[in-house]
Amino acid sequence: MSATLPEEPKATPTGAEAEGWQSLPARAWPLFLLGVSISMAVLLGMVGVIVGTLGLGVAAGIAGGGVGALLGGAIGIWIGTKQFHHTHWRLDADGLAVRRGRLWQRETRVPVSRVQHLDLKHGPWQRRRRLATLVVHTAGTRHSEVQVPHLDADDAQRLRDRLGRQIDHDDDA
Amino acid sequence: MTTPEAGADGAGAPTAAEAASAERRLHPMSWLFVLLQQLRQFIVPLIALLVFGRGDRNELWSLLAVGVLVVLSLWQYFTYRYGTTGDSLVVRSGLLERSLRVIPFARIHNVALRQSALHRLFGVAEVRLESAGGAKPEAEMRVLKMADALALEALVRRRGSVEAAASAEPAETTLLTMSVGDVVRLGVVNNRGMFVVGAGVAAFMPYSREVFPNDIMPREVGQFVMSLFGWTHNHHFGPLQYVLGALLLIGAVLAAVRLLSVLLALLQYYGFRLSEHGRRLTVERGLLARWRTSASRRRIQAWTLREGVLHRLLRRRSLEIETAVGETQDQERALRELAPIATPAACEALIEHLLPRAGWRGLDWRALPLASWWRLFVPGLPWLAIITAALCWRFGAWGLLALAWLPWAAFKARQRARRIGYAVNEELVAVREGWWSRHWRFAEIDKLQALQLSRSPVDRRCGTATLWLDTAGAGALAPPLRIRFLPVTEAEALYRRLSAMLAARKLRW
Repeated sequence: MSATLPEEPKATPTGAEAEGWQSLPARAWPLFLLGVSISMAVLLGMVGVIVGTLGLGVAAGIAGGGVGALLGGAIGIWIGTKQFHHTHWRLDADGLAVRRGRLWQRETRVPVSRVQHLDLKHGPWQRRRRLATLVVHTAGTRHSEVQVPHLDADDAQRLRDRLGRQIDHDDDA
Repeated sequence: MTTPEAGADGAGAPTAAEAASAERRLHPMSWLFVLLQQLRQFIVPLIALLVFGRGDRNELWSLLAVGVLVVLSLWQYFTYRYGTTGDSLVVRSGLLERSLRVIPFARIHNVALRQSALHRLFGVAEVRLESAGGAKPEAEMRVLKMADALALEALVRRRGSVEAAASAEPAETTLLTMSVGDVVRLGVVNNRGMFVVGAGVAAFMPYSREVFPNDIMPREVGQFVMSLFGWTHNHHFGPLQYVLGALLLIGAVLAAVRLLSVLLALLQYYGFRLSEHGRRLTVERGLLARWRTSASRRRIQAWTLREGVLHRLLRRRSLEIETAVGETQDQERALRELAPIATPAACEALIEHLLPRAGWRGLDWRALPLASWWRLFVPGLPWLAIITAALCWRFGAWGLLALAWLPWAAFKARQRARRIGYAVNEELVAVREGWWSRHWRFAEIDKLQALQLSRSPVDRRCGTATLWLDTAGAGALAPPLRIRFLPVTEAEALYRRLSAMLAARKLRW
């Protein structure tokens, strides 16, 4: 059944990598930044407030919080950019593969025959930029949910259709 | 896949009349057991109140609650029916809010029958039917007549085709039984006694006030302890004697816990019997309460063979399996232990019998590069540093003695690295790890769900990678199915090979 699977949905011009690895569209970049920056800013901001207040007083706490938030935001932008540049996906005859991370590189693969069901998520920010997050569910335990974040919405749609078609309904026990 | 009998009967489309005719009820006394089950949460406080209560009338309110529960359980009895249609089980319940649930037999992964001592007195059993996933069972019948329960189990086994029943019923073969000696060994090996002590203390805490009213607690207990240890004052023992005494006491406590474990093992595993009914495996066990669980052989997702230090001393191993039922890893219900404890030969024979094509004995085990032993050694260093620092702070330079652990840790890491290995053939992926306590973890390739190749910064520096293989229903306590420290080219080749194999094979779980 896998032999009938056609080629990748679209040879995106941004797909700089060899062997058919697809990059994410450039308009997904701000979403990566936002995702990481906000949490980093909140975290470091809180650390700043606590350290400042305990060390020098309330005024210093507020200043510390501001500095922490800015620092967190900056770190977030840096990490987010890295994440954006190191997220790739690929659909081949065997199934879907997602490659993420640079420091810790992870390549997760869900063979077509193992797809249980699929989710397509469009957040408000994603809708504005025509992006979508594809979530592939398997019956596994650790990797029961494989995400491809901030895909091009059309690509996501195509991926979902292609992977969804493979789900065979065997009623056998 | 071919369905032996169910496909042939052709009576796939059930009519309403057929369904109605086959409808059954729970056992007439079932309300009593539902009530008892409900009461279990109330019973301890109730007894505590009645025995230690200080004479106020508030406990009567709980009797009112009991009355309400009686009505509810009767209500459940009168509204609950089940029946079969062709290839599925139909459960009706509720009167005001009616529910009709249809469960195809083919989707039932696990059938569990439980009989407490009281159930056995009445000749009834609790039945739970579980399908893959989900925290709750598909159907829970509390309670059925034992004969009905067994009939239901047989029905699931045959996938519902009633006509093909008696003639096609495959013979039952016993694969493994445990002697009393083995049950005792199991008790010695496992630490269940410890859990019970912990759970008992935790459960007793809220009521300790009622049992020991405030004022007597410290004084009386203190006196008791003093009278127990008081005599040591009179004898003027030296430190050596105290150390000996402490060791003796610790030894006694440990022995008591082991004894408790043995008792528990006897209660839970007495009369253990693993049998095979065609394609389903059934385990029966228990001394007072009996459990009978059955699952299809095909539903097994992953296997774990363990051998701890005590196991080795007793020349035994244990074989566990995972099926894809429920999130709650309910030890009592699911079929998890094929061989709670058995000789290595018996375990191997079981694996060979149940995975005939996998060639377990002939697996081509590959060792991983011994040079990566330090990666098992390094993660322990921070802990050792902390412990050494703490000891130095407390005892001064003597604390540095803790560093004597280093050579041992290095030796251990080397031994572990020497034993790490994996094996892959056309049917099976297997990983082995551990030196003192060893385990083998394996799964059929058909049962793998997803693959992950991960490389940490250390991995990239050393040119290695870790391959994670995911199966359904893996327990939280089960060791992961992962191949560590694999040279990156080998890892990638294996990853590609496995993903191609997985894509070409149908998911069978």
